[in-house]
Amino acid sequence: MPDRGVSLGIGTVASLLDQERREEGYLHLQPGRVTELLGVPGTGLTRLGLRLLATPSLTGPVVALDTRRWISPEAAWETGVIPENLIIVRCDQPQIWSKVTAALLEGVRALYAEVPVGAKEQDLRRLAALARARKVAVAMRPMGNGLPSGVAHLRLRALGVTWEGADQGHGQLRKRRLVLEASGKGAAGVTRRFEVEDEGSHVVRVVSHVVPGEARRAVG
Amino acid sequence: MWSLGRPDAPSDDPLLIVDDRVTGATKDVLAAGVALGMPRREAEAMAPFATVLIRDQGEESRRFEPVVEAIEALIPRVEVVSPGLVFVPISGAVRFYGGEVVLAELVEKEMARLVGQVRCGLALVGVADGPFAARWAAITADAGRPNIVDDTIGFISRLDLAALRESLNADELIDTFRWLGVSTLGDLARLPREALATRFGNPGLLAHRLASGEDRLVDSREIPADLAVDASFEEPLESLDAVAFAARALAERLLRGLRAAGVAPHRVSILAEAAEGAPRERIWRSADPFTEKALSDRVWWQLRAWVEAGGVPGGISRLRIAPADLSDEGRQLGLLQDETSIVEAERALARAQALLGPEGVLQGRAQGGRMPQERVAWSRWGEPSVEEERESSAPWPGTTPSPSPALVPPRLQPLEVEWDGGMPTRLRLGTRWEPVLTWSGPWRLSGRWWAGEQDADRYQLVTSVGAFLCVVSEGRAFLAGVYD
Repeated sequence: MPDRGVSLGIGTVASLLDQERREEGYLHLQPGRVTELLGVPGTGLTRLGLRLLATPSLTGPVVALDTRRWISPEAAWETGVIPENLIIVRCDQPQIWSKVTAALLEGVRALYAEVPVGAKEQDLRRLAALARARKVAVAMRPMGNGLPSGVAHLRLRALGVTWEGADQGHGQLRKRRLVLEASGKGAAGVTRRFEVEDEGSHVVRVVSHVVPGEARRAVG
Repeated sequence: MWSLGRPDAPSDDPLLIVDDRVTGATKDVLAAGVALGMPRREAEAMAPFATVLIRDQGEESRRFEPVVEAIEALIPRVEVVSPGLVFVPISGAVRFYGGEVVLAELVEKEMARLVGQVRCGLALVGVADGPFAARWAAITADAGRPNIVDDTIGFISRLDLAALRESLNADELIDTFRWLGVSTLGDLARLPREALATRFGNPGLLAHRLASGEDRLVDSREIPADLAVDASFEEPLESLDAVAFAARALAERLLRGLRAAGVAPHRVSILAEAAEGAPRERIWRSADPFTEKALSDRVWWQLRAWVEAGGVPGGISRLRIAPADLSDEGRQLGLLQDETSIVEAERALARAQALLGPEGVLQGRAQGGRMPQERVAWSRWGEPSVEEERESSAPWPGTTPSPSPALVPPRLQPLEVEWDGGMPTRLRLGTRWEPVLTWSGPWRLSGRWWAGEQDADRYQLVTSVGAFLCVVSEGRAFLAGVYD
């Protein structure tokens, strides 16, 4: 019977590792796919979106499209984005936002784009098609409601954030834990919840599987 | 001088032609202390009486074209470097005309006839082994008397180190050589080449080659015919706009093919077939490998010169650009970098910049400072980085600790915070109040009292919807960043 116990243990660890690897895969942009980052400001999605540009920035220029004129490149550099390869495009005019985004999709390999409130569904679908055609890895952060169904390949919704390090006047902010929910085709039609830890340095990593989501068909 | 004779230049006024540096000036302006290559602002300050015009190399090429044609009538295979400077390989022509002296005087005479009609016109002819030496032979020649150099190595060795400035484009390296006691190219050529290559890399090696009279080495590999690009036009191109578009597209295609083969051209041959006439061909040369912009500019200048001078009757029916003198000197990429993606991204960013204006596309550079607003030096994409206002390598005690807020307003935003006994209890976000779950600080920020700035305290406030960096000054709270 000890042999049986050992083999069971290995099986459990392997399946946990598989799950963790899959969840870490959510934190990498895929060429030609749109990843939607959905959640209220303050949950850490800007930093996560910038973090998604770190790997593509190793091979060429990457762009953060800033509709609020508030994005700080310093946070992106901290997450591993190559400073010389990060370009910030500031567009606070919703009427030309889709044109600017389309122009960028024609040439850059990776884009983090804030989507202004009131962006037209038709434009968003066209942009997603353009991203697919040009094989651009895109993260979109809607400022209002979520993207229309079918636009995003993977949706990452922020459910909550907790901070460690600050304690009633002592210490300083050090570590953030962000609970995310992954859904859509990129999550194989299954809604999954997981937690990522951000220590403010290069590393943003998956730390646990908080609640297994129930299986259902993908939307879009 | 080609810039001085342009049609829109006032004929009697002192003239200063500039791009970002001085590229042409009349004698009275030069007498005021202005020198070619001087920064524009400095020159404008020294000669406020001069009329300032922006350089138009396309126009200069157009007016230089008759000179190139006149030389080509005497000696084939003229290579244009820029409007005003051509190289001509003369070994065949020397045999035909019966000697270098006869040939040089013939060219000089023809040039004097043509150039004499141009304002401040001056034709200088030099003969030496290789383009670098020939250029300096011409520069050091007297007007009306060709400078024929018999001992090229000896001639080069007497040149001042500054002769390398244009070919190397590395002022710091030249300054370093001077600091080491090297003042002429002869001094430099006497140094061991291996030592220069080890200490200064490729620029050092190139400097030594030029100083030794070897000129720039190019790859002597045979150029596959399919690297040349051409385009035929059913409707011959007659309008300048259509020609410009075709020139740019063809130059892009050529360089894309060359990049894939890992080489870059130092010389290109541009051939245009006229719908109703003989084909025209011209060779352009560059010391550095042609970049996409440099090549499209030259193709455009050449075609414009031909079209405006009526050199392609009936319009252009076929265009061909063929590379020559290839080298592997291109842009040095990182191990993982991909040239195609960089070029495509640059085009996309240029389009975004056209939509948003130059301030819409930015790059940040780290600099010193205590607040997140201060720690990024912004510059427009495509322009040189601005100098950092605060030294990044200096110690900055009291810097706001990392992680940095991902959202930083350009200026501090008023924020409503409620306090209880010096401790923050809740803050207002939009229309609702959020309780402060925990907080850290205060960290004192001492302002520049001599500039009227007040001291302030910084706090990190954590709520259920995120964390915020807050500055409190004179009893008022401000938002300095969102840890989003």
